[in-house]
Amino acid sequence: MYPQLEISQLATTLFSFLLVMVVDASRAGTSCRSQPCGSSLPRSWKLTRLLHKESADLLKIYKTSQGDLSELFCKMSMDNVPDPDISGLDPSARIQSMYSNTQIFLPHLQRVTEQQTDLQIISSPLLSKLSQAYSRTSSLGSQISCIYQTFFPNSPLLEPVGVPTPLPLSQNIFQQKVYGCVVLKRLKEFLSNATREIKALKHQICTKGTQPNVPS
Amino acid sequence: MKAVALKVPLLFLVLMAPSALASSTQVANIYPQDPALPIGASLTATCSVSPDLGLHASKLFWTLNGRRLPSSSYSVLSPTAVSVTLARLPASHQRSGDNLVCHNPAGHVLAGSCLYVGMAPERPVNLTCWSRNTKDLTCRWAPGGQGETFIRTKYTLKYKLRWYGRERECEDYSLVQPYTCYIPRDLALFTPYEIWVEATNQLGSSTSDVITLDILDVVTTDPPSGVSVGRVGDLEDQLSVRWETPPALKDFLFQAKYQIRYRLEDSQDWKVMDDVGNQTSCRLAGLRPGTVYFVQVRCNPVGIYGSRKPGIWSEWSHPTAASTPLSERVMSGSCDSKSGDSNSTLRRELKQFFGWVRKHAYGCSGMSIKLYDQWRVWMQKSHKTRNQASSCTRDMRRT
Repeated sequence: MYPQLEISQLATTLFSFLLVMVVDASRAGTSCRSQPCGSSLPRSWKLTRLLHKESADLLKIYKTSQGDLSELFCKMSMDNVPDPDISGLDPSARIQSMYSNTQIFLPHLQRVTEQQTDLQIISSPLLSKLSQAYSRTSSLGSQISCIYQTFFPNSPLLEPVGVPTPLPLSQNIFQQKVYGCVVLKRLKEFLSNATREIKALKHQICTKGTQPNVPS
Repeated sequence: MKAVALKVPLLFLVLMAPSALASSTQVANIYPQDPALPIGASLTATCSVSPDLGLHASKLFWTLNGRRLPSSSYSVLSPTAVSVTLARLPASHQRSGDNLVCHNPAGHVLAGSCLYVGMAPERPVNLTCWSRNTKDLTCRWAPGGQGETFIRTKYTLKYKLRWYGRERECEDYSLVQPYTCYIPRDLALFTPYEIWVEATNQLGSSTSDVITLDILDVVTTDPPSGVSVGRVGDLEDQLSVRWETPPALKDFLFQAKYQIRYRLEDSQDWKVMDDVGNQTSCRLAGLRPGTVYFVQVRCNPVGIYGSRKPGIWSEWSHPTAASTPLSERVMSGSCDSKSGDSNSTLRRELKQFFGWVRKHAYGCSGMSIKLYDQWRVWMQKSHKTRNQASSCTRDMRRT
């Protein structure tokens, strides 16, 4: 349609696609139960690490796009923004918590994307990065779901009950700027926590001689 | 520097303080919220705080884009309200708006309002459209005036059939090329369209001139396919160029015309032959012997479906190269250069050629004109030659 697509744009898109394909567990036709310690957990850890790094870049671009003093926005407290912490005492509860967090963050990411689409120019790199963060977080949720099903096949993975952190009602533009910053900052914190958590799980569950189906 | 000096201690103060308390329960608000203003306008904004905070308005301060505003521009309206007057506002720093913020004495953010300072859009200009193979329509325009409004401005391309039909909007705006929109399908032929662009932002709107066109009058097509360039026997100053009609237009009734351009191998100056007409072959004459030429062809679908207007030239085909013959040929024999001969340009060139053949062609057993041509193409960046006049004559050998 537009043969003049910039080579750099195509290359970036292709590279990102290939990278996600490498680290993303294949869901189409592949059982979640195959080699969790051999592939699922390491892949999820790599994806989380990648996401965490990208979330730092995303936050940086976001702040630049909002103008001076945007550093303050991220430090403001705001109601109804997802919590970055991972809760639970045992592995099943913590994996469940991680999964729930990904699902809770998704609609907020989408809301931020919608708001910034109105605020930024159409070609702003922020918009593509937000879209990418959404799809990667969704992918991470799927991977965590797979890990849970593998290790705890007899316990159903629970979706978040109700609307734990409802989307904010109508906001003026300043509030939208603050909201977006807080969401992205907490997303970054969550991904940092998730990276550590998955690494710990790898060590805890997948030590030599340990069976994959650890009872909850 | 003064602005930076104000900003640094302010940021330090805020960063060291506990998180600001601005929550969705609105401890304060600013009026007006998110106003749009023309460049040079003045604004008086008011920050009203909740009495529950126990703050007196005289203790509050304002910042705009991180710079503290002077207290001389403040006016305490009541114990819970303070205003600030901004005179002769410059254009907004960013598309998302300038941040006008009301702070408590500790520097915490109480409320904010985003200012949009810019200009109403001027009439979009230079609206042009073209259709690829009559299947679609791409339109491009330029923003009017200086092209910058400083606030978010929406451009909408609209079109309708001239005598009937409802107004429609183009939906596919290019992310790569600004001010371009693409209509992929459902376009009528033999009926004129009226097309225009509307520009709108918070400060106003404007509309471009309406252009009227028939899709068949603005058709472009793909470059000719199968472009080949070859020698004309042993003629040292001629090359034969052949090509095929663009495949997408094979079934269309039209009289295409073509253009050829060619250049010497290391020159950027193209010679254009535009008297090629509608033939699909041509002979370039008056060329320099023993020289590589790069050739391209493009097509104009003139008179498509009986249209009386010239179409739009296609892109040039991919460059194709060939060389004119040399008067002296290297036949079989040793690839070693002979000593005792004078240092002529030809000798030097032959030495280079032999060296390349030894390295790239595994010896001289496969010596051919084609191999020589390949070497000349490979060498194209290391030589400079002069341009020479040429003309195009019809290649009568085409069957």
